[in-house]
Amino acid sequence: MDIKANFKNKVSESGSFSNNNGVDVKLAYIDNVPYEIKPGETILSFIRRNFGQELVPTLCDAPNLEPFGSCRVCSVDVALQQNGSVKTQASCHTPVMENSYIYPSSDRIQKLRKNIIELVLTDHPLDCLTCEVNNNCELQEVAAKVGIRDVRYPEGKNHLDRTKDLSHPYMTSDMSKCINCFRCVRACDEVQGQFVLSMAGRGFDSHIVKGSEVTFNESDCVSCGACAQACPTSAISDIFESKSIAKAETTRTICTYCGVGCNLEVATVNGKVKSIQAPFDADVNKGHTCLKGRFAFSFYNHPERLRTPLIRKNGELLPATWDEAYTYIANELTRIKNDFGPDYIGGISSARCTNEENYLMQKFIRKTIGTNNIDSCARVCHSPTALGMQRVFGTGAATNSVIDLQYTNCIMVIGANPTDAHPVTGAKLKQFAMKGPSIVIDPRRTEMAKYATYHLQLKPGTNVAMMNMLLYYIISEGLEDKEFISSRTEGYDDFKKQILANDIDELSKITGVDKELARKAAIAYASAGNAMSFHGLGVTEHSQGTYTVMLIADLAMITGNIGRRGVGVNPLRGQNNVQGAADMGCQPHQGAGYYDVTNPEYHKMYEAFYDTKLPMYVGLKIPQMYDAALDNKLKALWLMGEDNVQTDPNTNHVKAALGKLDLLVVQEIFMTETAMLAHVVLPAASFLEKSGTFTNGERRIQRVNQVVQPIEGTKPDGQIIIDIMNKMGANEPDYDAETVLKEISQIVPFFAGVKWNELGDQGKQWPVLADGSDTEILHIDTFKRGLGKFHNADWKESQELVINKKEFPYIITTNRELEHYNCGTMTRRTNNAKILTEDTLMINPADASKHSIIEGDMVCVESARGKIDVKAHITDEVLPGILSSTFHFPDMHMNDITSSVADSEALCPEYKVVAVNIRKSKGKYKGEKVVA
Amino acid sequence: MGRKLLIDKVNVPGIETYDVYRKEGGYRSVEKALKTMTPDEVVEEVKKSGLRGRGGAGFPTGMKWSFLAKPEGIPRYLVCNADESEPGTFKDRYLMEKIPHFLVEGMITSSYALGANTSYIYIRGEYMWVLHILEKAIAEAYANGFLGKNILGTGYNLDLHVTCGAGAYICGEETALLESLEGKRGNPRMKPPFPAVKGLWQSPTVVNNVETIAAVVPIVNDGGEEYAKIGIGKSTGTKLISACGNINKPGVYEIELGIPVEEFLYSDEYCGGIKNGKKLKACVPGGSSVPIIPHFLVCKTAKGEDRLMSYESLSDGGFATGSMLGSGGFIVYDEDQCVVRNTWNFARFYRHESCGQCSPCREGTGWMEKVLYKIETGHGQMEDIDLLWDIQRRIEGNTICPLGDAAAWPVAAAIRHFREEFEWHIKNPQLAQTKNYGLVAEKVFEMAQ
Repeated sequence: MDIKANFKNKVSESGSFSNNNGVDVKLAYIDNVPYEIKPGETILSFIRRNFGQELVPTLCDAPNLEPFGSCRVCSVDVALQQNGSVKTQASCHTPVMENSYIYPSSDRIQKLRKNIIELVLTDHPLDCLTCEVNNNCELQEVAAKVGIRDVRYPEGKNHLDRTKDLSHPYMTSDMSKCINCFRCVRACDEVQGQFVLSMAGRGFDSHIVKGSEVTFNESDCVSCGACAQACPTSAISDIFESKSIAKAETTRTICTYCGVGCNLEVATVNGKVKSIQAPFDADVNKGHTCLKGRFAFSFYNHPERLRTPLIRKNGELLPATWDEAYTYIANELTRIKNDFGPDYIGGISSARCTNEENYLMQKFIRKTIGTNNIDSCARVCHSPTALGMQRVFGTGAATNSVIDLQYTNCIMVIGANPTDAHPVTGAKLKQFAMKGPSIVIDPRRTEMAKYATYHLQLKPGTNVAMMNMLLYYIISEGLEDKEFISSRTEGYDDFKKQILANDIDELSKITGVDKELARKAAIAYASAGNAMSFHGLGVTEHSQGTYTVMLIADLAMITGNIGRRGVGVNPLRGQNNVQGAADMGCQPHQGAGYYDVTNPEYHKMYEAFYDTKLPMYVGLKIPQMYDAALDNKLKALWLMGEDNVQTDPNTNHVKAALGKLDLLVVQEIFMTETAMLAHVVLPAASFLEKSGTFTNGERRIQRVNQVVQPIEGTKPDGQIIIDIMNKMGANEPDYDAETVLKEISQIVPFFAGVKWNELGDQGKQWPVLADGSDTEILHIDTFKRGLGKFHNADWKESQELVINKKEFPYIITTNRELEHYNCGTMTRRTNNAKILTEDTLMINPADASKHSIIEGDMVCVESARGKIDVKAHITDEVLPGILSSTFHFPDMHMNDITSSVADSEALCPEYKVVAVNIRKSKGKYKGEKVVA
Repeated sequence: MGRKLLIDKVNVPGIETYDVYRKEGGYRSVEKALKTMTPDEVVEEVKKSGLRGRGGAGFPTGMKWSFLAKPEGIPRYLVCNADESEPGTFKDRYLMEKIPHFLVEGMITSSYALGANTSYIYIRGEYMWVLHILEKAIAEAYANGFLGKNILGTGYNLDLHVTCGAGAYICGEETALLESLEGKRGNPRMKPPFPAVKGLWQSPTVVNNVETIAAVVPIVNDGGEEYAKIGIGKSTGTKLISACGNINKPGVYEIELGIPVEEFLYSDEYCGGIKNGKKLKACVPGGSSVPIIPHFLVCKTAKGEDRLMSYESLSDGGFATGSMLGSGGFIVYDEDQCVVRNTWNFARFYRHESCGQCSPCREGTGWMEKVLYKIETGHGQMEDIDLLWDIQRRIEGNTICPLGDAAAWPVAAAIRHFREEFEWHIKNPQLAQTKNYGLVAEKVFEMAQ
């Protein structure tokens, strides 16, 4: 029989094969039957594409790792002609050869596999019944598949007595179960890029070590858990026994921590969360998460969760029923609205909540109350990004996706510390920086900076001068993309003139960055072909935040790095749904879908859609709300899931403002510093207890699926908003993500085609057209605003420094640590607090010695607003004169010293530049923690 | 007397110094190549010479060189594999120790041919004193303008570095060597990509044995055709053989390829016969990895022809009745030697040297050693012989690098030719502790796959 006749495609006259589209195809044979080869395929992927996962067993292969070829279980026989003489090859890494004959399960091969597994089992405990991964063990599965019945080898030397490592708050290891497949080592190298795990010894004595043969706890492990997930046995696992089949069911949802938007697979037992793994098929995170996503979930049923509404009576917050709370709030809001007017009421929504909840929040404030006094915590992080990019491009969102890192030639990371704050994207950026050219602009020598080709270590608050330096060199070196500039942009001639008018020596002096280094970095970015920029809060949280964003956008336009794969301006969004909160209209100047509330046409549209009267003027931004409250112009404030007292700058100012209110309502999951000041506290449900959608930093709308029932006594934030709206006369149906999403899709144009049931596991990137198709890359042919507009900006010193630098000569900036999230409300109530126990102040050795400060000393940091005590960590990560500190722990009161200076355009507070003075503290740290 | 191309001057006093070496005609190949030949012409001469890799595999050097990828803007490297760790092999050490400039000269000429501007000699850590000898020779070559910038005013630049290993046999495998040279754990790499495409620092790289590189010197000096006149068939030129075991004159000999094994073993010019007038029992002709052959297959092939010291003749009959020239580590056993003990000793070596990456080799080498030890110490059972055969079958060809093969072959050959001796050991555990089995019968076994 002519085997080629089996192949359903046609044979051309030249003898080559063509498929049904007439394209020539290459063939190889599996058990003598021809199949088409895809370019670059290995034998294993070729077999698996045609026969599924089952036919060829593997041990050292893993879906998110490069082929390694060490276990040899995937071996197959390969012949050059049918039934010809065969050679055994490891299929996982051998490219499939055209016209080769592959025999994946010949008798020889089956015997080989059986023998190999038999050898492996001679040094593996056979205590499957009591093993954590019993029934979910790849070795067990492969052993069963190849049919091992006994082990012929006599008792011999083995490694079954290796001790377990239970030193770490999350990670565990039991190396007696190790089969030396290197998967954990490769996961640590290839996925996280941490290089903690390695193989020591050789041959039979090979063994996995952490660092220099230390425990997990002593090592540099960042607890991402990639190794545990990669381990085919239970040699490396975690305290939650994530690989145990005890998990009754799993629910796929989205991580609530940062804006990366990792997919999580949450296992539950008896309605309680057991463990979290990262799905390998997730576009966003491909089997990877950080320790926050994977392990920091135990806050959700922490004893301190709020479980009943509280109403302040005689100065004390006392338990109340939901109905009492709603009645109290509705009466107060109605009174204030009637006595003073709707503009005496404001609402602050939360980027931690779902799109649906944010939409309802602004609808409540706009429709039920009748004011535009709605803002969200995006104000204090990425409001300058939204505004700046809108001004230049027309759309205030990331132009590209993280997957574009595969297509770019150069990355620029500005004011961002992604390996701590966006760990999964951070790991990808780090992997890139280890191989390709990278530019890091940051006052601190962050982990990214250590890997960077060019680290421009500028003085805090000089971003605009730094950008002008880069633009100056791009223009003066003649590296601008003239074609792109002339066809896609406007305002270039003026822009160029002003850029070239800069005194480059002066800029170098301002930033403290060497001219030549800046020139080289500018050339690297401009001549890369495809260059991507990423920026974070080190750009936005400045008095010139919006201007810096515009200049970053200018950099992309002037080099033509817009509108295709591997380029663009990509803000690293801080919170899980900060993109969504703005999209949903939680801004005083724009409603849902970014329509200007002062535009008569849009105003009419909103009025018609909500069937109500709406004000046609811009409402109050968060800082303006505090001022209004102090001025008796704001009487009631509704906070949904935000701890403003701890996180907003100048705490005393915030506290004073909140103290002036007649009504402060706080929806929270824990009793925060802010909730303590509230008149009514409403216990809300966490992300594990509700459904909805989050939009990540790359505009990806992903489904958050309820994993467990809300803790007794709590309600999803969306339901609380609906309840109060209905209490005040509306007629909204109970909170249901699908229903609200449908309403959103009718008013937000870029959500037009978003349907709950069609979002699937991967979500969709907006704009989603009516036909459901989504968009990975923005501005391909034209900008949202037509032509991209160049904007100049001159550097101006922050008022904070102008006024205070004489008396307070140091600059303190703020930063994040991997283990904690923002003010730590959630992460402090997990084992993460055992890994990082307190905030520390980074101080340069030169400054430390000037003040006789040694490592671990308490340092008093004083600004014009107040003073705090914090423990010193002496490091050259910061330059002399510069300090940096986290503010994850409330005892530290960082915001007692931060200023009320804010971005001139978007009013984002300037957390990153505070003039301070330091001295060795005499007093005891007021919130000193007992470290076990 | 055979012609000597590599070590004929080792006994000249002071030959290890630049001055004497130069006076004796050293560095002529560099002058000739750099001043009168293009790099491609040098490669062409090497091709014409028929030189085959002297490290053990015997791959044609000219062909290996012509595989070297030459992408624009990416450096190329020549790496000399001086990690001579195969038991029974010590020829490279002799060359480097006695006449270090010969290797340096070869490195310069070869680097020029390959277009490499940085080259490395990777030497095993146990040869630390040789490393110092080489470093001294390299310093002299720099001082005399044969290394560094603008060599002999030709505009050709070359930096030559010596790096030492840390005692791992696996680092003699070319990709593990490259990993080690890059400062990493010496685990072999998967192929493809081959070093000729992605080698050191992910750049095109040629890795050659010390003797191979040294042989380039006479090839360039006298021309490839002249070199090819020596030898027989596809085994051209001369070869260094390190002879050891129960012979009267152990040492390093340079032979013209193609001389009869009998002549090499028994003539006074070379090994000088078996020591103490004993009978020959077996021979491992190419270093510990190659199959051991019993006395009746050493000087004659199975077909009854004279066995010659050449790549082809030594492997005549395949593994059933032949062996390999390998690295030229010629180990001779007299009638008093125990094959079981010898095989166990080799197995112990490979167990110790397996890198541990591939499961068949990591676990298999350990078990071969354990089972052989069992038999050797008088605790063996008949099925252990089949188990041994089974393990080596699973290792051979089923590992990333050839260490697996190297570990499997000696065990396979021992069982193939000396099965009777293994059985005798198992049947006479007490006797085997004090007495040796002696010579095996002249018969050839058919073995299962």
